[in-house]
Amino acid sequence: MKRKSIAIFSIVILVAAGLWAGGKQEQTIPFEQRYMSMSWDQIVQEARGQKLYWYMWGGSDLINRFVNGYVAERLKGEYDVTLEMVPVTDATTFANKVLGEKQAGRDSGGSVDVMWINGENFRTMREAGLLFGPYAERLPNIQYIDAADSSIANDFGYPVEGFESPYGSAQVVMVYDSAKVGEPPRTVGDLLDWIRANPGKFTYPGIPDFTGSVFVRHLFYHVAGGYEQLLGPFDQELFDTIAPKLWALLNDLEPYLWREGKTYPETHTKLQDLLANGEVYFDVSYNPSGAASLVAQGRYPESVRTFVFDTGTIGNTHYVAISFNSSSKAAAMVLANLLLDPAAQYQKSRPDVWGDLTVLNVGNLPQEWQEKFLSLPRPPAVLPPDVLSSRKIPELQAPWLEAIEKGWTENVLQK
Amino acid sequence: MKNGLSLIILLAPALVVILVLFAGGLALGLSQSLGYMPIIGAYGFSPNAYLELLGSPGFVPSLLLTIFVSVMATGIAVTLAVVTALSLRKHFAGKKLVSFIYQFPLTIPHLVVAVGMMMLVSQSGLLARAAYRIGLIGDSSQFPVLVFDDLGIGIILVYVWKEIPFIGLIALAVLQSIGNDYEEQARTLGANSWQTFRHVLLPLIVPGILPGSIIIFAYTFSSFEVPFLLGKSYPAMLSVLSYRLYIDVDLDARPQAMAMSILIALFVLILVVIYRRISQHLVRGSA
Amino acid sequence: MIGNRRELRGCPTCTRVVHLIVISAIVGGVLLPIIPLAAWSVSHSWFFPSILPSELSGRAWAYIGSPLSKVLSALANSLLIAGLVTAAAAGLGIPAGRALGLQRFRGKAVLEFLILAPIIVPGLAVIMGIHVLFIKLRLVDTLFGVALVHLLPSLPYMIMVMSGVFANYNVEFEQQAFSLGAGKIRTFFHVTLPAILPGVVTGSLFVFLISWSQYILTVLIGGGRVITLPVLLFAFAAAGDNAVTAALCIVFLAPAVLILVFTSRYLSGESGAMGGFGRL
Repeated sequence: MKRKSIAIFSIVILVAAGLWAGGKQEQTIPFEQRYMSMSWDQIVQEARGQKLYWYMWGGSDLINRFVNGYVAERLKGEYDVTLEMVPVTDATTFANKVLGEKQAGRDSGGSVDVMWINGENFRTMREAGLLFGPYAERLPNIQYIDAADSSIANDFGYPVEGFESPYGSAQVVMVYDSAKVGEPPRTVGDLLDWIRANPGKFTYPGIPDFTGSVFVRHLFYHVAGGYEQLLGPFDQELFDTIAPKLWALLNDLEPYLWREGKTYPETHTKLQDLLANGEVYFDVSYNPSGAASLVAQGRYPESVRTFVFDTGTIGNTHYVAISFNSSSKAAAMVLANLLLDPAAQYQKSRPDVWGDLTVLNVGNLPQEWQEKFLSLPRPPAVLPPDVLSSRKIPELQAPWLEAIEKGWTENVLQK
Repeated sequence: MKNGLSLIILLAPALVVILVLFAGGLALGLSQSLGYMPIIGAYGFSPNAYLELLGSPGFVPSLLLTIFVSVMATGIAVTLAVVTALSLRKHFAGKKLVSFIYQFPLTIPHLVVAVGMMMLVSQSGLLARAAYRIGLIGDSSQFPVLVFDDLGIGIILVYVWKEIPFIGLIALAVLQSIGNDYEEQARTLGANSWQTFRHVLLPLIVPGILPGSIIIFAYTFSSFEVPFLLGKSYPAMLSVLSYRLYIDVDLDARPQAMAMSILIALFVLILVVIYRRISQHLVRGSA
Repeated sequence: MIGNRRELRGCPTCTRVVHLIVISAIVGGVLLPIIPLAAWSVSHSWFFPSILPSELSGRAWAYIGSPLSKVLSALANSLLIAGLVTAAAAGLGIPAGRALGLQRFRGKAVLEFLILAPIIVPGLAVIMGIHVLFIKLRLVDTLFGVALVHLLPSLPYMIMVMSGVFANYNVEFEQQAFSLGAGKIRTFFHVTLPAILPGVVTGSLFVFLISWSQYILTVLIGGGRVITLPVLLFAFAAAGDNAVTAALCIVFLAPAVLILVFTSRYLSGESGAMGGFGRL
């Protein structure tokens, strides 16, 4: 009797253990694989009825209107996906959130589904295992992207590998008030000469502002005599030979800057205020049509124009990424795909909507779309797309940025 | 017995909420500051966060700035509150309207005041433009820097604007309860307005407005919203510094954020304890 | 009135001039930071050194009125949360104030200190600590969780005001009502409530305003999902869009001012409600 019950008991335990282990086995098949074996139609089907929270920068009424209006309406109407935009002031807040959820063991039902992301945040989140992917290759509209474009395949030099999908392009432009400057300088060297000849009328946002950082990087390229040698992984020796020249240049420049370089505007927004109110005559911007939008809103005088250096300006891509614990991954992929739809990209590029550069390879689009893109109205403050693309130079990998930013704080700000 | 039970029933709900939120929050903050953070797998117990924080280069400038802003804001607000209360207790034409305007700042949220102040006193703000119009300055850069500045002047202005009616109404209530008798007597004895104020009214007002002053000092000391919007990023006021540490992607900075919060809490609590000692001393002294 | 009876020593004209300066300073000082807001909200281009906008536009107000801006739903959220917090604070604070105001008991001073501590200790510091617990309890990202943390800085004010009111309250009226045969509930509504109403209104005003103005607590616990007016306001202020920011400011301060207009008679300082502050 006793032996029998022990036997039964043991069998029960073994079966239970087997089921448990077997069940656990199933759980270890990651979500990613599930989506790899589904067809796009199946993904669209699963997305129906899902709700999506897209965390992104919320400081522009134009962008908000585009996302909450055009994008949300198409998602609802065509895919029955509900989109909720969550405005944040700073991307690190949602990176922090997802990280906290992962640490707390929340592997599903995450509060963040989709994020507008690039650069440093992408790398941090990718390395911490916070992103779902690789999903980009599953999107039908990815065909419109130029697969050979290394500035899309790499986010600040860090390989994307399908863990985020692009949806717009950015490129640095120099903004100036043509009523005050007349004919703007065309090279970095000319700009430096202009600054020395016109003291107090130029400045750049202090690092760690994103825009200030990219301006300094242009000067880094300038003293390095070109960017080609800098494109690889971080090279401390190389950095140490170039950096001192950069610090010397920036420190020599300080007395000719606004406020004699004793203080730098803390954010790009503050620099924009300075230009608007005539305290300085230049601005730096990552958004080629940003100045035009500000003119349309009345925040810049109508005489504002933009230019790029003959030696080129840095361009990059903005992406969306999906969090590892989102429970609306199918809907997220549908959104990412929709953003790459030529109609959506065209709408986004309209200067009265957002004016954001398209990330599509226009040359590969059907004829009618090519014509549409090429005939987009262009306000006077926006440069022609071919000028921009012919002058586009790549970003450096993140460790270079960190070294430059740290070096600026130590060698320029605190001197 | 019945009294005891009814006492508990009356007090318990509110107490539970306060205990859980406040005491619980502080306790959890304290434990996290000492390194007990299961969320990042840290079960340690060490004062490292405090040491790193106190040794970090940003801490002392932040502390000094925060103390400076709080002292200036409280001092100016209290002074102006008493002055305005003295004028407002009289009867004059339009008193009702002026009183209403006087109380206006009480309802305006701090963020709105910060935005309005920025539009008023920045170098391209309304005051600067007026100064240009009347020829005081020739360029916007000649107008003094009052926001995003090293001393937090814009921040001080915001808090002064908000706190004057707060203290002022209390001062008015105190003045009303004092009545005019003491002043009358002082006048008959030959004292002028200033002497009457300094030696008769002021000592009577001070105990009444002291609690309010402590409140606004503590509030300004721990404030976040206004310095977040109007302050320079370095040095930042203490609450802003603690928030930045908290949202840092590097979760190892969390204990430091908690440590900062605990230090701020300790500072204001010690302040209140000192105040209670002093006020008890004053009460005994005047008895 | 009394002062007019005698000729004051010193300089009556000086006093009058000083008085006039003070009154003008009050009016000017209060209105000056607020007036630019109206102008900015309808401005299109307004650069230094123009005193008036050079062009007007309805862009900011059109954006705010549009459902695409989420402003109206943020307004609704703010109202809803502040309403919840006020109701909760009244429900918790009136009984607590009664106990503190009417009764003496051991440990009362300690209790008072504990109740007042959340006003003195910064809310951010405390809520940063409890954030982890809220995440565990799934209270983050919810309206309810945000309302809960808004209670922290606001409940003590309600308790303080009510304890001040109850300290001046005469319990005898209730006894009389009981002896006349009235039940507890009737007594509360017909005797107690009318007597404490000014205090309830004052306390509710404080609580409403405190919840209405909260930013960082909403951001921290709301996780960006609970969007209230201050959250939107801050986003646009940081982005430098003065017109939209100013329009949001006006929307943000309108309900608060309206409430002040309605309840200004309770705030005149004569109701004893402010007396609670002396108990610190």
